[in-house]
Amino acid sequence: MTNTIASNIRTLTLALAGAFLVASIGVTYWTIFASASLANDPFNPRLIAASRDRPRGAIVDRNGVVIASSEKTADGFSRSYKDQTLAQVTGYASLQFGLSGIEAAYADSLIGQDPADPVSIWRARYLGEHAAAGKVVLGIDEKVQKAAADALGGKRGAIIALDPRTGAILASVSVPSYDANAVVDPSRQQSAFNALQQDGSRPLINRATQGLYPPGSTFKVVTASAALESGFDPNKKLRVDDPYQPDKSWGDYFVRSASHAHGDFNMADGFRLSENIYFAQVGLAIGSARLTDYAKRFGVGAAPKLDLSAGAGQLTASGSIDRPTLLADTSYGQGELLVSPLQMALIYATIANHGVMPTPHYATEVRDAQDHVIREVAPGPVGQVISANTAATLTTMLVGAVSGPGGFAFGAKIPGVNVAGKTGTAENRPGEAPHGWFIGFAPAEAPTVVVAVIVENTAEGGLTAAPLGAQVMRAALGK
Amino acid sequence: MPPSPRARFTELSLLVWVAALAVTGFVAVVGAETSAFGPAALIVPAVYLVLVLALHLFLVAQRFHGDQVLMPVAAGLTAIGLVLVQRLASDLLLQQLSWSIISAGAFAATILIPRDLTALSRFKWTWALLGLLLLIAPLFPLIGREINGARIWIKVGPGSIEPWEAVKLLLVVFFAAYLEEYREVLTQTPRRIGPLPVPPVPYLVPIVAMWGVAMLVMIFEKDIGATLLFFGIFLAMLYLATGEAFYALIGVVLLLGGGFVVYHLFGHVQVRVDTWIRPFDEDLRFGAGYQLVQGLYALANGGLLGAGLGNGMPDRIPVVWSDFVFDAFAEEAGLAGAIALLALNLVFVYRGMLIALRAPTTFLQLLAAGLSFIVALQTLVIVGGNARLIPLTGITLPFVAYGGSSLVTNWMLVALLLRVSDVSTRMRGRP
Repeated sequence: MTNTIASNIRTLTLALAGAFLVASIGVTYWTIFASASLANDPFNPRLIAASRDRPRGAIVDRNGVVIASSEKTADGFSRSYKDQTLAQVTGYASLQFGLSGIEAAYADSLIGQDPADPVSIWRARYLGEHAAAGKVVLGIDEKVQKAAADALGGKRGAIIALDPRTGAILASVSVPSYDANAVVDPSRQQSAFNALQQDGSRPLINRATQGLYPPGSTFKVVTASAALESGFDPNKKLRVDDPYQPDKSWGDYFVRSASHAHGDFNMADGFRLSENIYFAQVGLAIGSARLTDYAKRFGVGAAPKLDLSAGAGQLTASGSIDRPTLLADTSYGQGELLVSPLQMALIYATIANHGVMPTPHYATEVRDAQDHVIREVAPGPVGQVISANTAATLTTMLVGAVSGPGGFAFGAKIPGVNVAGKTGTAENRPGEAPHGWFIGFAPAEAPTVVVAVIVENTAEGGLTAAPLGAQVMRAALGK
Repeated sequence: MPPSPRARFTELSLLVWVAALAVTGFVAVVGAETSAFGPAALIVPAVYLVLVLALHLFLVAQRFHGDQVLMPVAAGLTAIGLVLVQRLASDLLLQQLSWSIISAGAFAATILIPRDLTALSRFKWTWALLGLLLLIAPLFPLIGREINGARIWIKVGPGSIEPWEAVKLLLVVFFAAYLEEYREVLTQTPRRIGPLPVPPVPYLVPIVAMWGVAMLVMIFEKDIGATLLFFGIFLAMLYLATGEAFYALIGVVLLLGGGFVVYHLFGHVQVRVDTWIRPFDEDLRFGAGYQLVQGLYALANGGLLGAGLGNGMPDRIPVVWSDFVFDAFAEEAGLAGAIALLALNLVFVYRGMLIALRAPTTFLQLLAAGLSFIVALQTLVIVGGNARLIPLTGITLPFVAYGGSSLVTNWMLVALLLRVSDVSTRMRGRP
């Protein structure tokens, strides 16, 4: 029977050789095919270690003001962050905790390995040279950033300002913030990071892009866009009597007017006096399919393409508007809606930019050590969301909301400039003070800045937020 | 006329490569760590090479007829191991060098002591009992120890050893003897239910018993790797003895079924499997999956030719010197080095299987094939774990990973294979 065993041994040996082949293929996958993506994984300690031995590139604002830089210390280079109001944007580069923010998104550029410059990557790899670190230029404007930080002060919330023509972000503030220097300082990093992670106010979150809030009245532009483009006549007067329900089937469910209004409203009046009942009726008139379609076109429920992480939010919990009361509530920005300040800023940027939504971006350029531009970050527009006519009609009505008689957003007025904007007072969980919104742009004729402000839990709602928006726009316009 | 028994020239010439490997390895690693290195860097490889040369001369002096490739391959893998200990945990280097000296002693003793290998088969039940005792020893409260979540260690003096390492040798000896004895049953045609052969009782009983013990190991010693090896060795030897791949299939199905149940009942198995399936998820990459993710970063940094010995960052992987030496080596020696390491292992397995093919008795055939299979399966399980092909386990890379129990038993395994080879060469009168 020896022969049988011999042939069994041969079969087993062949099977083992096959298994070794499979193992080799597995190893080949990780060392060769997955190599590039893992090498640039922001949590790969090799990326960060590279910055300990030699300077990591600087992060600067649009005018070259340094926001983050590497400084030489006794034991190698350490990272220094100059602007705490930008902490969630710049992020940190820690050997212990990995990378976040711009430090993560442009990790390769900051160690001189920008994908747009393959020659230096290969030279570094094969000659063992270290490519000199590049520099990342942000669209942030220090002046506007400071105005936004000062405006919000210690109030919990966020402000984001962007150029509606390009999508470049001019200012981005999220309160509370944190000191990234503590996260990269070996002597205190662990306790600092633990404290940040356990902090219930979540300072590590960038509220401007990741915070999700009900939009309240600022959402009415979406309902209005859907109506205008479905042939709804904005001059037609609708009867408003607080409280409102279309028929008895709603039982004890009513839509409430913030000003307990009784009267006839056209769309301009609806914007100026922020009339919920007017927009609830508009929503019911155009129907849920139309409203859902326009909310999706404006990006509600989908994370905007951005060079940092951004929240998606939701139109409703189930994704569809499946009952009339929810349709009415969604039409004036309540119901189950959740959006980020960035998403709202983009919706208003679309109106400011003749109906074309820009793609937002924090960085604008990557430069090499000799200050030559290696790569421009200029993502094209997302696309035409509404017609230029609709955008113009909405702009006129939004100007009315700021400077028309009794306009709710009067706090956003800037002398000598036409400001378009809308406040919102977003109702929250029962027993919690509402969130105050203002979103606007200026100058209304040719907008160069859009700002979105949210102040969490403020009894005055939108009235608190509007003057903060004005402060930011003034800084951006130099007024 | 057969060549002179003293002429082990093949072995000697292969040892020259081992010397080159050890010296260049140490020079590269020490050179990368300190820009100026003294002759101290060469002392460890020198001691090691003297040791290996002594083993060679010992075999020559014994007029040994066995295989001439196996020992240099094992010595080369051990040399890579020493280089990696210097690279990854230099404070453990002297310990590992001491262990290689002890291993050489164990090797020589195994060559000398069992005058007749068939004696091993006569005491098979003794080995089985001893193996079982050692296997469950870590579970006893006073001597057992849990390290890194696996309870597979026992305390010995100030240190601890993995009895499992010895168990695997005992198991192979026992299985070889047991299967040889009951092999006649094979001559009967197995009863069949439909097209499927039903294993005769002498096979069925151990299949079920082994499966039960394997499950207990998985549950109480919390080590999937030991379970896999333990049951794998048994199934492979059952296949070798019977030629019935179907029996092995029954075993695999039993193992998967049991594993499935255990997965749902026990947290430690779930964690292992979950970190294998999604190590990069946020909840795992800084927790249970941290070690594996760091290992994969190391592999990715390797590329084709590696970062160069001493120039990578494999030290970021927790417990790299025992669990992740393969990834560490691949980071610094690249895909080329990793494949070479696998090839070296495969050469070892191939030579071992050749020895099995030429062995004169069923017992010796099964013994040699089983021993070779241990090395193959261990390599596959840990490399597969390191490369995320299968869940990670605490099995060590034979000869290369840091660890005394493993090194000593693996060198005893080499000696046993050489003994089988020696017997068959003498009987057949050819090398």
